[in-house]
Amino acid sequence: MRIQIIGFGNIGKGLAKVLIKKEKLLKKQHDLKIKVVSITDVSGTARDDKGINLSKALEIIKNGRGILSYPKATKMNGIEAIKTIQADLVVEATNTKIEDGEPGMSHMLQAIKQGKHVVTSNKGPLALKFQELNNSAKKNSVQFKFEASVGGAMPIINFAHETLSGDKINAIEGILNGTTNYILTRMSKEEKSFEMVLREAQEMGIAESDPSYDIDGIDTACKLVILANGILGIKKTYKDVKTQGIRKITPEAVKLAKEDGYVIKLIGEVKNNNLEVSPRLVPKNHPLNVEGVLNVALLKTDLAGDITIVGKGAGSIETNSAILSDIISIWRTGI
Amino acid sequence: MKISLDLQLKDVPGQLVKALVPISNFGGNIRSVVHMREKGPKGGRIPVHVDLNIDNPKSLEKILKDLEDKDIWVSKVGEIKKKKNITVIIIGHVVDTDVRDTIDKINDIPGAMVANLALAMPDPEEETSARMDIDVDDAEVVKIVLKRLDKIAKDKGFIVVKSLGV
Repeated sequence: MRIQIIGFGNIGKGLAKVLIKKEKLLKKQHDLKIKVVSITDVSGTARDDKGINLSKALEIIKNGRGILSYPKATKMNGIEAIKTIQADLVVEATNTKIEDGEPGMSHMLQAIKQGKHVVTSNKGPLALKFQELNNSAKKNSVQFKFEASVGGAMPIINFAHETLSGDKINAIEGILNGTTNYILTRMSKEEKSFEMVLREAQEMGIAESDPSYDIDGIDTACKLVILANGILGIKKTYKDVKTQGIRKITPEAVKLAKEDGYVIKLIGEVKNNNLEVSPRLVPKNHPLNVEGVLNVALLKTDLAGDITIVGKGAGSIETNSAILSDIISIWRTGI
Repeated sequence: MKISLDLQLKDVPGQLVKALVPISNFGGNIRSVVHMREKGPKGGRIPVHVDLNIDNPKSLEKILKDLEDKDIWVSKVGEIKKKKNITVIIIGHVVDTDVRDTIDKINDIPGAMVANLALAMPDPEEETSARMDIDVDDAEVVKIVLKRLDKIAKDKGFIVVKSLGV
């Protein structure tokens, strides 16, 4: 299988590491030999039709250089790479931009147009134009998979599609952002202020220097839109989500909740065609009360009842567990 | 509907069965029967409390008529309304924006009543956090209360943290 990696940040690099680590297992268990024929980052594109040396590519990036430093790399951008290089599948791993979903949106549409399967962890394009991407993939008879875009290693989308394929899923609620879960867990355990715990999370690398994407609920809202479209078939976009973040949660509120047997969590909920992200009171013994950076989702189904899935929501290796699973799934169903 | 009956039975054998037969004959589903011997007997009668479910008020009329015909006194008939309770946390200038007014706006809703309010004020200048327990009659009232809370929050600049599942 010939793969192109577009975006060589944490996720792209993680994929390269996972492919090196799992090379023998993929061959043995799935008779799958993956050849990465190109890697593109902001500096340019490295290309080798016989397969890029992934260890060498990682070494170059580790030394602070762009992929342009790889032998014979050119300044070719992602769109050109997708257009001109022969491949079966594109892994789109550029950063999420919620304003316009670019450049990921154009990368994905171009790949689909070229008849290439797409696997992505990039939430922005899906949160803005899920239906356009999905319809385009169907029209061009390629597979479009996005397990890694929600909950990292928490296998919610494929689980719903495959294991629960006979069930009707009526609603989904969950903690879909590890950073907010970490902050609210620490506020509850240590009775510290939001600002103090946020600073601590930033120092530990759990929160970004500009944390607004996480703490204002934007990330959770994007993931909720993907679950609504991808699992429940609800045609909503990011703009349809009623979103409230956790900036205004006080230590006193956390304490009052605790005294009454609750914890406060940032919950994404899709129910009755409505999408909402807001801090909620969760009973202490409820399955959604998971701690630290964990993600959790509860699916309300007609046959199986309530099902809860817990997993690590972030991390380049964890997220690539989902990307690899999508790649294998496409391989199994035939490229 | 869930009904409670306080009956006065003669203190002789066979009276309880005599009282319960009309209830089942007219479609009543008996949930519990409690002899209140500690309260009686008065005038030779023992008080008995019965909780039952019936589908429509007509059945209740028939049950009461039959009990009367059988010389079983019915001292009290009541409909039991099971209250729901919802908890919310409100963050903002709860006291400065007239906490009484906030409570009244919820209590004005038929079937809703603020049952408990706990306040935490770190500093008079800072925002207050308040936990509010609200008794509500049914799921429809819950919806109205939540809508009213959203309106109050918008008008007074609060954040409302609702319970999961409401």
